Amino acid sequence: MLDFKLAPQESDAHEKAGERIYDLIVIGGGPAGLTAAIYACRARLDTLVLAGALPGGQPANTDMVENYPGFPQGVTGADLAQLFQDQAERFGARIELDNVMSVDFSSRPFSVSTYGVTYKGRTVIVATGANPRRLGVPGEDKFYGRGVSACATCDGFFYQDRTVVVVGGGDSAIAEGLFLTKFAREVIVIHRRDELRATKIFQEQAFANPKMRFVWDTVVEEILGDETVTGVRVRNVKTGAESVIETDGVFIYVGMEPATEIFAGQLELNEQGYVIADRRQRTNIPGVFAAGDVQDPYYRQIVIAAGTGAVAAMEVEKFLAEQE
Amino acid sequence: MAKDRNPRKKKPKQKRVIIFTTPTCSFCRAAKAYFRQRGIRFREVDVSKDPAAARDMVRRSKQQGVPVIDIGGKIVVGFDRPKIDKLLGLSPQG
Repeated sequence: MLDFKLAPQESDAHEKAGERIYDLIVIGGGPAGLTAAIYACRARLDTLVLAGALPGGQPANTDMVENYPGFPQGVTGADLAQLFQDQAERFGARIELDNVMSVDFSSRPFSVSTYGVTYKGRTVIVATGANPRRLGVPGEDKFYGRGVSACATCDGFFYQDRTVVVVGGGDSAIAEGLFLTKFAREVIVIHRRDELRATKIFQEQAFANPKMRFVWDTVVEEILGDETVTGVRVRNVKTGAESVIETDGVFIYVGMEPATEIFAGQLELNEQGYVIADRRQRTNIPGVFAAGDVQDPYYRQIVIAAGTGAVAAMEVEKFLAEQE
Repeated sequence: MAKDRNPRKKKPKQKRVIIFTTPTCSFCRAAKAYFRQRGIRFREVDVSKDPAAARDMVRRSKQQGVPVIDIGGKIVVGFDRPKIDKLLGLSPQG
């Protein structure tokens, strides 16, 4: 497995004095953001990527990626993330592992601030992606990190020979549930419907796995525990019957929410909170583009995120040329 | 002038950093990459290979997840860059 590397950086004197202006600031370091950086750097645009705490984005937390073209045997999400990043750095992208706390798109150059630094950019690509949605039930916050998780690759190890619950029925729930069978004695999938939404190949693997058990038509009402999680209180949505399922861990995969809080009031968002972008990835603000899951409520695929990142970077190049 | 030749004066002693990891944890990889980028020396404990260390980490941090980072005895849960920078006295900028 590849280990994460970052090119050494020099922050320059202009930046310290607040004078350096990047051609492009990419907010987000997932497939969309890093693909945008590859294209922008090859167009010789001075590019900064603010990659947050998880360079590589969602794939970095994914065990195996088997639907990204060019890897017939599959590739681990972590390796794919590193390859994207290596390719962006090869062409000169500067990548910072820092979260963006606020933006000011009201005048150009645009301002993008982390907890300690404000960067300036002539253009911005918003590629902040999406975060796992929470259930919003009692006990969830209290036991987060103490039995409740949204990251099987991070926390799965701690459930060796124990019972875990996976909540959800989509690709993430089933793929990560299968990953958890490497550690856990039993993986109980709790799903609110009577069939899975996950891709058929995942369903086949899940139904064939002796460690996987399915509880249908059921929602989690509360997460129970003392020091750590001991169980979940559930309700059958068809019969209304309530019961308790004992478990040591709860992995929540009930969909994603776009990471757009910092853009509220500045970028046009749809009612679900996704950035509204046109087919050229333009937002309502000239010079601000959006790519990847943050503007995609439908598909949320690595290959599509990368594709929209490339479009956004090509549009940035065109936009800057027109400004001159 | 003479004190510039004293390496201990030039580089103040860094707090001891221990990062608890598992091989599949991407936030762990990102945190390690960040330490290397900023020239921070650290010791890594792969809890998947060291059950005693895993128990110790869970007991001290109350966390069933990684990364957990011990910086001079203070526990940081997750790759929390502002907290890490503060504990190590690093500037916010790389």
